[in-house]
Amino acid sequence: MNETPEKPFVPDQPTVSRKFWIALWVTCGVSVLLELLVHRHEHFETSDSAFASVTNGFGFYIALGFLACCCAILLAKGLGLFLKAKEDYYDDTP
Amino acid sequence: MTLLNNIPPGLLLILGAIVLLLLPATARKAGAIALAALGFFAISQLETGERLSPSFLGFDLTLLRVDATSKAFGYIFTLCAVAAFIFSWHEKGRMENTAALVYIGSALGVVFAGDMITWYVCWELMAIASTFLVLARKTEKSLKAAQRYILVHLAGGLILLTGILLTVHNHKTGSIAFNEFPKGEIGSWLILIGILINAAAVPFSSWLPDAYPESTVMGGVILSAYTTKTAVYTLIRGFPGWEILVAVGCVMAIYGIIYALLENDMRRILAYSIINQVGFMVCGVGIGTELAIAGVVAHAFCHIIYKALLWMSAGAVLFRTGKSKCTELGGLYKTMPLTMILGTIGALAISGVPLTSGFISKTLIVAAAENQNYIWAWLVLEIASAGVFLHAGIKFPYFVFFNVDRGLRPKEAPTPMLIAMGLLAFLCILLGCYPAPLYSILPYSDAVKSTTFSAIYVDHFSNVVTMFQLLAFSALAFFVFLPWLKRTPTISIDFDWFYRKGAKLFYAAMDRSLNGLNKAADKHVIKTFLPALTRFALVAPATLTAMALKPIWRAMDSDEDRLAKRRDELVAKFTTGTFPIAYSAACVLIILSLLVLIGRTAD
Repeated sequence: MNETPEKPFVPDQPTVSRKFWIALWVTCGVSVLLELLVHRHEHFETSDSAFASVTNGFGFYIALGFLACCCAILLAKGLGLFLKAKEDYYDDTP
Repeated sequence: MTLLNNIPPGLLLILGAIVLLLLPATARKAGAIALAALGFFAISQLETGERLSPSFLGFDLTLLRVDATSKAFGYIFTLCAVAAFIFSWHEKGRMENTAALVYIGSALGVVFAGDMITWYVCWELMAIASTFLVLARKTEKSLKAAQRYILVHLAGGLILLTGILLTVHNHKTGSIAFNEFPKGEIGSWLILIGILINAAAVPFSSWLPDAYPESTVMGGVILSAYTTKTAVYTLIRGFPGWEILVAVGCVMAIYGIIYALLENDMRRILAYSIINQVGFMVCGVGIGTELAIAGVVAHAFCHIIYKALLWMSAGAVLFRTGKSKCTELGGLYKTMPLTMILGTIGALAISGVPLTSGFISKTLIVAAAENQNYIWAWLVLEIASAGVFLHAGIKFPYFVFFNVDRGLRPKEAPTPMLIAMGLLAFLCILLGCYPAPLYSILPYSDAVKSTTFSAIYVDHFSNVVTMFQLLAFSALAFFVFLPWLKRTPTISIDFDWFYRKGAKLFYAAMDRSLNGLNKAADKHVIKTFLPALTRFALVAPATLTAMALKPIWRAMDSDEDRLAKRRDELVAKFTTGTFPIAYSAACVLIILSLLVLIGRTAD
């Protein structure tokens, strides 16, 4: 029985394969299409604020998921400039 | 089973811990599992009501208050304990096992306490016992972290105690019953702060990611479950519907996400993720409706399971590789596939993926926010749901098990670890597909309308679709921004800066300002002003007297040399304080005459 030789690993080279990208896009696509098929329940029926009606619009969760995560990543990246410190930062303190 | 019906389950575990201490290793470990299982059984035998009221310092304690809320927390505390003790079969030391049992026992003590004294005593016992789980790692870092941990908790305990004393004092009846606290009283606020410290609410949050990741492999699993969830339980008891908790919870949920994204240490990512999840629960308590409280208890229940599972998978990786930083880990799926699969189930459950436990519990809190028209809180919770998937659902498994192959080839986790993880992973999926048993033990269980698989996943399919969309596009954002998320070997500065660096700076500032003041005072007052004053006090009377006597002396003898000599003699007499009696008598006479004269003039 032939053992498949292990691929040499390349340090610091994140490998997200092409197949994975296709699967991810397909998943996202399916999730969008599914919304066309279902009748979403209304949020905040009793509220008359403009925002409440936005939450019931098509693709609200798509936008929310993507934008919230982008904002979180950008915010973390920005705050990282101030908040990141070397691992030995606290070494001289109790 | 009247005997079990009258024993506080916490006491069972604490006494059992002492007995187990005497046994050899294998019996001790098996005993701990059996004891936790016995605790679970004992809780199932408890009948609703309040009992066991010994008198203490003139107060009637209530060691056992049994209702749906305390039982639900009791079930999950003991269930998690069974899994954690199976997981830690490899641990050889006595310290961890005993500390864990006392810790879990005292957490159960809080949950079943009907009065504030029992609650407080168990609360402090929890803090002490849990410190040993951090200490057991036996590294310098863990020692220091444990010191900081216990100091924060003792400070929190003192604030809580002050609040309790004020509240008891203000009660007209002097009642110590642990119920909802009156609004607007300072005692209630102090109690709330004391509890929020244990709940790791911002800004009292940093003790958690500071201490938990420094604990042992087993310690992390145990710690992740009890302290914060006991705090959530006490919030349900004492502060349901306090609106400030909605805001506190929302801040915690977002704070947890941002810090988890910044972190490099896998167990620290999970620690921040606890704060994020507890944020959902605190928010739910703040909403305070029946559905919200049921949702909080359900979420605490599910959270303990998937969070313990995540800490177990991280613990297994730490156990096998000795590493916990994302910059040193990666590619472990090749040799630890089962740990990867089980850990990923935990990651999916925490993210609230449909068919997992997170989906059927988190949605209750979100729905409660929606029903009460808390639009902003609802939006924050939805954003936080997306963020959870980002940091715990994808980041944790991705950076640990995939990402870069760093050539690590550890063995798969030991069998006991896999069994424990398998048990919890099974529960994550079971509760996700069949939540009825969980819903039935909740307080206000009637408030939860959809309880069957078809009601949740078929009748409300649109909710499944929206959750699916939220998660799919969160994942897309993660991979689009992947280069930005590359880990760096750094730590993040958190609120503990104030007592770690800040305290040192404060000390330096005080040293410089107060000691500087001291030095200046020494130089100008002690060394310059006071000697001058002394000299003045000695010389001035002599000079004045000499000036007064000078005309008399001159009249008696005009020789300048002798005049100078007389003057020197006079100064010497003043300095040594030696005067002939005649001088003193003359002075007294003069002063008396002056007084008489002044008296006359005044008349």
